[in-house]
Amino acid sequence: MDGRPLYLEPRLEPRLRSLVAAHGTLHSIVDALGSPLHLVVPDQIAENLERFRSVYRAHHLSGQVFYAHKANRSSALLRRLAATDAGVDVASLGELQHALGAGFGADRITATGPKNPEFLWLAARTGVTVGVDGVAELDRLAGLVRKHGLAPVRVLLRLSGFEAPGVKVLSRRSRFGTPVREVEPLLEAVERHGDAVEPTGVAFHLDTTSVAEKATALEGCLAALELCRSRGLRPRAVDIGGGFGISYLAEREQWEAYTSGLTAAVLGRRPPLTWGGHGYGLRSESGTLRGTLGLYPAHRPVTGAAYLDELLAQPAGSLGGRPLAALLLEHLYDLHTEPGRALLDQCGVTLARVLEVRGPEPGGELLVRLAAKADDIALEDHGVLMDPVVVPRSGAGPGQGPVAVHLFGSLCLETDLITRRTVFLPRRPEPGDLLAFANTAGYAMDFHATRAQYQPGARKVAAWQDGDAWRWCLDDQFWPITPSGGVQ
Amino acid sequence: MRYDSITEAIGNTPLVRIDPAVHGLRNIDLYAKLEMLNPFGSVKDRAAWSMARPLLDEAVEHGSQVVELSSGNTAKALAVIAGMHGLGFRSVTNRMRVPEIKDLLLLLGAEIEELPGQSECLDPTATDDPLTLFHRTLSASGSAYLHTDQYFNPRNTEAHLTGTGPEIVKDLDGRVPDWFVACVGTAGSSTGVARALREEDPSVRVLGLVGAKSDFIPGIRTIDEVQEVGLFDPETYDTMESVSADEAIEGMLTLNRRCGILGGPTGGAAYFGAVRHLRAVDEELSERRTAVFIVCDRVESYLSYVRQRRPDLLGRPPRKNSPADLSDAEIGAAPSIGVAGARHWIDTDRPLVVDLRSPFAYAALHIDGSVNIVDELFAELLRGGLPFSRRQPVLLACPVGEQSARYAALLTRMGHPDVRSLAGGIIAWRDAGAPLVRD
Ligand SMILES: Cc1ncc(COP(=O)(O)O)c(C=O)c1O
Repeated sequence: MDGRPLYLEPRLEPRLRSLVAAHGTLHSIVDALGSPLHLVVPDQIAENLERFRSVYRAHHLSGQVFYAHKANRSSALLRRLAATDAGVDVASLGELQHALGAGFGADRITATGPKNPEFLWLAARTGVTVGVDGVAELDRLAGLVRKHGLAPVRVLLRLSGFEAPGVKVLSRRSRFGTPVREVEPLLEAVERHGDAVEPTGVAFHLDTTSVAEKATALEGCLAALELCRSRGLRPRAVDIGGGFGISYLAEREQWEAYTSGLTAAVLGRRPPLTWGGHGYGLRSESGTLRGTLGLYPAHRPVTGAAYLDELLAQPAGSLGGRPLAALLLEHLYDLHTEPGRALLDQCGVTLARVLEVRGPEPGGELLVRLAAKADDIALEDHGVLMDPVVVPRSGAGPGQGPVAVHLFGSLCLETDLITRRTVFLPRRPEPGDLLAFANTAGYAMDFHATRAQYQPGARKVAAWQDGDAWRWCLDDQFWPITPSGGVQ
Repeated sequence: MRYDSITEAIGNTPLVRIDPAVHGLRNIDLYAKLEMLNPFGSVKDRAAWSMARPLLDEAVEHGSQVVELSSGNTAKALAVIAGMHGLGFRSVTNRMRVPEIKDLLLLLGAEIEELPGQSECLDPTATDDPLTLFHRTLSASGSAYLHTDQYFNPRNTEAHLTGTGPEIVKDLDGRVPDWFVACVGTAGSSTGVARALREEDPSVRVLGLVGAKSDFIPGIRTIDEVQEVGLFDPETYDTMESVSADEAIEGMLTLNRRCGILGGPTGGAAYFGAVRHLRAVDEELSERRTAVFIVCDRVESYLSYVRQRRPDLLGRPPRKNSPADLSDAEIGAAPSIGVAGARHWIDTDRPLVVDLRSPFAYAALHIDGSVNIVDELFAELLRGGLPFSRRQPVLLACPVGEQSARYAALLTRMGHPDVRSLAGGIIAWRDAGAPLVRD
C-alpha cells in the first residue's frame, strides 16, 4: 500500500457549509474573542427537531421530543428550542435551572440520571416528570413529596435488562434502570406511594448503536405497560431515550479506506497512520488482528430521525409481528424520545488558530500547534475522526498541495494531541490560519473542557443567517427574539 | 450408498459443470463444488466434524457443552453433532443477522447469545471487547466446554486439505484446475483446498472473495474482518477481490434459476466473482482451461435476506379486493362518523363494531361490545367477499381513523350499504372521554 492521503472530510449540510465558508466573519470573531472558539447555530436545532417530528407524524404518533441537555451547555441552543414545541431532558440541578430559565415549563421537562436531593426537590417542587431508576429513588422522592407537602409527582419508570425471546442478547452492564425481572417490586412501591407519585409510563436508555437491541427493549416496555394496566394503573407513555447518532463524514468510501488503512498499519503492512503507532484499540498478535476498533462509526447510513423511523418499523416478534410504531399507536401510547447528539447534528463548529507549523525531518509529517487544548475539541474523546477545514488568514496562495500533519494543543504535555491520528490536509496551513472542526456541538464542546494551566476555555458564540450574511452574538446574549435571529 | 451414521455422509460432494451458455466463457470450463449437499446443509459440516470428532469422547465423559462463535452454518452442524452425542451447544455471535437461521438453530436445540451493538458514547479507555470477555470466561471455567475455535483451529483447514481438495482433483480425472475460487469466512475451506491443489500443481491460481466493506453477505467477511481470522494468510491467495451483496444475490439467482443449483448468497458471490474475474482472462486464451468454485450452502435460509434487499424478487401479482388499489378520492369519500355520532348510532342501531388493531392492543382497552379482527386478517377475509350481511350496519375502528377509512371505502365499493369509519379512531374516542373497557 502507498502513502496517498487518507482524507476524512466532514459532512456539511448547507447551513454549516455556508458558515465554514464565511472566512472573513470567522477570522473577525476569533480576533475579537480568542482561540479556541465554539460557534453554535440555533436555527439548525429547530430544523433537526422538525425532522424528528415528521417521523412522529408519519406514524401518527403523539408524544414529546426531549432534547438531552447533557450534550451541550449552550444557552442559545436551549432557548431556541424553548421557542419550539420540544421538551428537554435534564440530568442535573444546574441543567434543570437552566431549562426553567430558558423558558421551558415543567410539563416540557423530564429529569433523568443520578439525582442529588436538591435536584430531586426542585424537580418535584416545579412538577417536572422524574425518570426513576429504582425502588430506592422512588422511596426518596415520595419521602420528599410528603415531607414538604408537594403535589404528587409524575414518574417514568426506567427499566433495563430486557431479553428477547429465544435468542439471548448479551448486553453491556448498565448502572441505570430497574431490570425488567424486578419490575413487580417496583410496581408494588409505586402502589405503596400512590399518594405521592403518579406513574405515567416506562422508559429506557440503552447505550448502543444496535436497532435490534432497542427494538427488544421497546417490546419489553410494551409488556411492562400491559403489566401496569393489569394492576389497574393508567400509564400513557414510553420514553425510549436517545442514542440516534450522527453520520460525521461526507463519504463512506473515505471511512472505509481509512479503516482499512489503519488495519494495514496496525499489521505493519503500511507506514503508521498515527502518532506512535497508536491502534485505536486494534493490535497485532503474530500477524492476526486482535482487539476492537474503539472509534465512533463516523460514516453511518442511518442516523437521527431516520434511525428512529427504522426502529419504529421493527416487527415485535412476541406481539404478533406488527411494527412497533403500529403497536404504540394501537395501544394509544405516547412516544417520548431524548435525542442529544442527533438533535445537535450540524449545529456547531469549533475554531482554533494555527500558532506554529514545523517540519521535523524532510518528508515527515508537519507538526502543527494550535491555540487550543485537546479537551476544547473533544472529538477524539468520543472516538470521532474527522478532518478540520482550513480557513486561511488571507486570500494567500493555496500552498503546495496535500500535506500530512500532527495536530498539537497548547498544553505543556506530551499527551496534548488534538488527535492521535496523522491528519491529511489538502494544503499546508500557515500560522494565523484557522482550523474549523465541524459538527462539534454534540458532546465535543464542553463535556471535557478544563481550565488546566490557566489556559482559557473556549468561548461560545451563537450565529445565524441574515440574508447572505452571518450575524453573531455571545451565546448567553441569544434569545429567540434577538434582532433578526432565531424565531422570525 | 449405505451408512451407519449421518456423519459418514459428510464429504464426497458432486462437482457440477456450469453450462457455458450461462456463464459465457469460451475457453474455460467452470465447475461448481456443491458443498450445499452435505447432510447438514453446508461446507461447514466438514470443519465441524473434523474439529469436534477427536474431542467428543472426552466431552461426553465430562458432559461438556460445545461452544463456538458462529453466525450460521458451523453452528448448525455443531448443534446437530452435539445433539447426536447428547451434548448441549451454545453459539455466541455478533453476526447473526438472518432470522431464519436463528430459528433453525433454536429448533436444533442450540442456545444462542448475541453480542451487544457498539456503544454510542464510547469509553476510549475501555479495553475489553465482549469477545475478549467471552474467551476469558471459557479459559477460566476449566474443562466444562468443548470450544471448537473455528477461526484458529488447524483441523478446520485440514478437513479441506484431506477432503475437499483431493475430491476436486479426483473428479477432474487427476488434474488440478487452473483457477480455484472461494469466499473467505473462517478461511478454512479456501486455505485447505488451495494447499491440497498446490501440492499437486503449484501453478493453480487462487482467487479469494470477500464482502464489500459496507455490505453484509452472510457467512463471509470483509477485507478488514478477515484480518481477525487466525487461519487467514494473505499468501494463500493470488488475488483478493470483493463482491457486493447485490452482486452475490445476482449470482445466486443465476445459479438458482438457470443452473438448477439452489445455492445461497455465498455460492452466488463465488459464482459472480469467478465469472467477473475469468471473463478478462478468457479473451486471451487459446487453449481450454478449468476453474472450480465452491457453493457453500442452500438458498432456503436466506429468504428474508433477499426480501430485505430485493423485495422485487419475491413480488406477487396484485390481489382482488385489496385496500391497496383504492384511489385517494375513494378513501376521501369513505363514509365516516365522529365520536358523538358514533356513540348515538351504537345506542340506536347497534352496528357491529369492528376494531382493526392487534389483539394485544384490543385486549388492553377497547370499545365495549366490539369485535377484534386485526387488519391483516380482515384484508384476507375480504378477498373472499363481504364477510357480513348487507343488512347489518358496521362501524370500523382503528387507532386514528386512517385504516378504517380505507376499509370503509373498500366495503362500500364491494356493495355494503351502511359501513362507517370512526373518525379520529380510538384515540379520538379516548380523548373525547368516551368509555374504553378491558374485559
Ligand atoms: C437518559 C438519557 N437520554 C438521552 C441521552 C442522549 O443520548 P444521545 O446524545 O446519544 O442522543 C443520554 C445520554 O447519555 C441519556 O443518558
